[in-house]
Amino acid sequence: MTQAAVRDEDAAPERSLLARVAAADRPTLALIGVLVALVVANGLIDRNFLSLSQLRNTLLVTAPLALLAGGQTLCMLTGGIDLSVAMTATAAAYVTGVQSADGPAVLAIAAGLLVGVVVGLVNGLAIGVFKVNPLIMTLGMSGILTGLLTVGSQTFLGGATRMSELVLELGGGTIVGPIPWNLVVWLLLGGALVVGLRRTGLGRLIYAVGDNRVACRLAGVRIWQVETAVYTLCALLAAVAGILIGGRSGSVDLQLAGSYLLPSVAAAVIGGTSILGGIGGYTGTILGALILAVLDTMLNLLTVDEALKQVLYGCIILALSWAYARGTASA
Amino acid sequence: MATATATTRPLGPAAGRLARRHAWTGAVVTFFVLLLAWNASQTRNFGAFEIQTLLASTLPLAYLAMAQSVVVIGGGIDLSVGAMLVLINCLSARFMEGTDLRGSLLVAAGCLAVAAALGALTGLVITVSRIPDIIVTLAASFVWGGAALFVLHTPGGGTSTGFQALVLGSGSAWWPALLCLLAPLLLVWAPLRRSRTGIAVYALGSDRNAAYLSGVDPLCTRVVAYAVDGLLCGLAGLATTAFTAGGSPQSTIAMNATLNSVAAIVLGGVALSGGVGGLMGPVFAVWCLYLIPNIMLGLGVDPSYGEVVKGVVVVLVVLAGGLLRARRNRAP
Amino acid sequence: MALRSVDLAVERGEIHGLVGANGAGKSTLVKILSGVLGPDAGVVEVAGRAVRLRSPAHARASGLAPVFQDPAFAPDLTVAENLRLTGTDQGAFRRRVGELGLDGVELGEPAGSLPLPLLRMLDLARVLAHDPALLLLDEITAALPADYADRVFAAIRQAREEGRSVLFISHRLLEVQEICDRVTVLRDGRNVDTYRTAESPEGFGEPQGGAPRKRGEQRIVAAMLGERAALAVTEPRRVARTSHVQPGEPALRVRGLSDGHRVRDVSLTLARGEVLGITGLEGQGQDELFAILAGDRRATDGEIVADGRRLAARHPRDAIRRGLTLVPSDRWQALLPQRSVRENLAIAHYTAPAEWGWINLDRERRQVAEAIGRLSIDTRAQAQARRLSGGNQQKVAIGRWLVGGFTTLLCFDPTRGIDVGTKHQIYDLFRELAAAGRSVLMFTSELREVPLACDRVLVLYDGRIVAELAAADADEATLLGAAHGLAEVLTES
Repeated sequence: MTQAAVRDEDAAPERSLLARVAAADRPTLALIGVLVALVVANGLIDRNFLSLSQLRNTLLVTAPLALLAGGQTLCMLTGGIDLSVAMTATAAAYVTGVQSADGPAVLAIAAGLLVGVVVGLVNGLAIGVFKVNPLIMTLGMSGILTGLLTVGSQTFLGGATRMSELVLELGGGTIVGPIPWNLVVWLLLGGALVVGLRRTGLGRLIYAVGDNRVACRLAGVRIWQVETAVYTLCALLAAVAGILIGGRSGSVDLQLAGSYLLPSVAAAVIGGTSILGGIGGYTGTILGALILAVLDTMLNLLTVDEALKQVLYGCIILALSWAYARGTASA
Repeated sequence: MATATATTRPLGPAAGRLARRHAWTGAVVTFFVLLLAWNASQTRNFGAFEIQTLLASTLPLAYLAMAQSVVVIGGGIDLSVGAMLVLINCLSARFMEGTDLRGSLLVAAGCLAVAAALGALTGLVITVSRIPDIIVTLAASFVWGGAALFVLHTPGGGTSTGFQALVLGSGSAWWPALLCLLAPLLLVWAPLRRSRTGIAVYALGSDRNAAYLSGVDPLCTRVVAYAVDGLLCGLAGLATTAFTAGGSPQSTIAMNATLNSVAAIVLGGVALSGGVGGLMGPVFAVWCLYLIPNIMLGLGVDPSYGEVVKGVVVVLVVLAGGLLRARRNRAP
Repeated sequence: MALRSVDLAVERGEIHGLVGANGAGKSTLVKILSGVLGPDAGVVEVAGRAVRLRSPAHARASGLAPVFQDPAFAPDLTVAENLRLTGTDQGAFRRRVGELGLDGVELGEPAGSLPLPLLRMLDLARVLAHDPALLLLDEITAALPADYADRVFAAIRQAREEGRSVLFISHRLLEVQEICDRVTVLRDGRNVDTYRTAESPEGFGEPQGGAPRKRGEQRIVAAMLGERAALAVTEPRRVARTSHVQPGEPALRVRGLSDGHRVRDVSLTLARGEVLGITGLEGQGQDELFAILAGDRRATDGEIVADGRRLAARHPRDAIRRGLTLVPSDRWQALLPQRSVRENLAIAHYTAPAEWGWINLDRERRQVAEAIGRLSIDTRAQAQARRLSGGNQQKVAIGRWLVGGFTTLLCFDPTRGIDVGTKHQIYDLFRELAAAGRSVLMFTSELREVPLACDRVLVLYDGRIVAELAAADADEATLLGAAHGLAEVLTES
């Protein structure tokens, strides 16, 4: 059957240096370069930046963002997106906070994580089994959670939202030197993500589903299972992030994680994960999150207007996406 | 929507086709009428004042829903509609402060031009760069948000009372708001829809390949679609200025507005895959979404549950739409 | 690179046939002439003037009008709106529609609600309404019912009367002989022969061995294959091959299979150790049949018995678990383009949740290396699958099941668009698999490869099996005749 659509033919023409450097499979080197440059620049601007306390502050902010972005990476690898991560994080923090007042810290944390699992399952099943568009489903979930929390904060979730000592320590405390506890949590989970994506069957499937769903189905993959798993993991990571953020600030409110939503997508995009699926990985996202955090600090140090900061973020996302698009197009 | 027939036919088949094409819009309109009746029954002395409030407070979101519709019909999506609203809101509030009606109108015209131009630029970047529209409009939302902060560091600005009255009416005069809503529909969308470019927008969303083979220029078409999108977002910003008599550069407003616009078009019968739908359905959907919390308030339920209900309704509607489409496709 | 150097001249008022094996470059040539692709080198002249065809709109304006198998109608738009897009005058369109014998077409209907053959006729009418200088018809009669095809021929002849030119691309040699004035043959991206059909007025010869074939078809075949291979094909074949067919429970038994659409009533038996071929023209139900066997589509009637047990698959996974695995023809359905060859080969191991855990890299490396070696896949395991040549991509698609395990391999047009050397490698592989006790069910549209790979061949026509032949008796003329539904159903013992 003839198709008039233009498709990739077999030959691969020569790629320019820029395109090869930005090739979506390995942006790591370039990103590390950017990160190092930013850190050096920061250090030059303000000696204090490289001090231990400042490093600690930067890492404290990055860890939750990196976790949210990690979940986002998983969804984007399958060609989807999760716009409910911020509210899931907030909801988990709320539940943990409330439970902390009533019982042992571990149970409180478990309750918060359970919120993540439930939200993720609902998202995943709706997207995988009922084929609801991920954008819409997670949007709707975000609204549902917002509504529930608004009502809840005045009724069943109201009252004591003090986090337990354990959570405070995990969220804001330090293990040694400049290394905060939440970094340890992040390293453990992040390491699991990186390794999991590369060395587990599920990791292979996540990439495969994002690359070519039809081929996956014909190869025997039940795609809804993969999607359900992905969105559940994403929400679980969001729950962890929410608990950490809540732990750091000590209290919970509705705006807890709101400002993390767009940066979570941005970090994944900067890190080379394509929103169309099949390309990318968590290593890049980690670098993306670090770059965002360091950039944020730098712009604050330079007392750059919030306005200019926003514009810069937009331009950076655009520029990097352009480079990635050129890189994969010429491949 | 004009439909041509090859031969003269009795009214039946043509009417049947008309019914099928507008089935979804009809359903939304019916839903709205029912909700309105319900709300009216809850309120004593339901009258012109309530109508005016409905029209005035939903005007910005109605414009945004129309804007998002145009883009989604063309096969894309625009995550920056809310940010553009905020930008134009701040821009107009900054320059309208202390002016009279004429001054305000001049500023408004300038803002609309800016909005349309920025929209066209977005469409240009999307087509030329081949970056997915989600990412480009996401980046754009950052840029417009930053620009808004640049224009107004903190909430402020103002507008002329004449402008407010012109756009929103006051007291029980509800027809200005309705006129403002209908103006872009009649003056911009209706002619566009009948023109070749308008058909090209639908074609791009329906089947990009067939459109290209039929000689559609994707660049030109997309730029026009996003320019109209920008224009409507600009109107939304102006409406917000009129409504709040000021400007506010908060990014959360932008995010919520964008998300609400997507919910509205989905409810309004616009398929996210493109090529299907119109602008009237989403407007009625906006009105329905507005009425739901009101009704719940009237029932004595916490209106915040309205958010929950809205979210559930959106998901269920998309589900139903998806199932219907899947069943249609499975039939050999 | 699909086109290396093609010189083609179509005269005014001529119907010019363009033939060639799959991968010869026909589609690419059409894409260039219709403005979809740009050539790297070379000149296109229309009526003596050089033109650069930058886009489909531009090509149309230059008088070159293509009709593809996928009609260029946006499904959600009405026919009238689609006509607006191309600037087609409704009056002229209705006139052409009438000339094609199609009455009562509602221009207000959404294009997506019209049946596909009708849409293709409307596409033709639309193109004619623009009074083009050259009509490019790409496999226009494929999957068209017979009466529509006749009207198309009438329209083509009339176009010739009106002084238009037609470039008629088809691999139905009968039609090409019937309607074209001249024929050009493409092979490997070059034109290798051009001749007048007036020199060879008749069509095919008798399906008996010994009677000489008419010059036209022989000449085409020779040109398409190159001299050596043509000799091998047109002489009676003596294929000395061991049969590995095992007695006992067949690997696959199908009875009365139907899907309420294209598959009407298919029954077949595939023995263990057998390579069974199925052939037929486009749209006879082969796509649907294979989709049903692979578990991707449901049958409405009939039964499938695999390995002695009934199979009612609701998802390809059900079929795969029973050992029925599919190698799709469309490599874009088979491969994960941006993933590595290794991942493509190994994916069948991780499809079930139980297999989602830690990957045993050693075992994977071993199996992947084995498959690469056995199939002579010409690439590193790390390369992205989309960078491979067509032949290697096909080998990866097959290799996936060598790694994943199977009992019966369902191959849909496995050698389409692949060079001869790779083709023979694949045939040899099938024979090896048969020797090892596996079975292969293979659909092919290339009649000449049937005796090279298969033990038996079935012919599919209009959703039914209408002929069954042993490979040694399966010459092209007989197969082609049966594929066209020509009377006698030849059965072996």
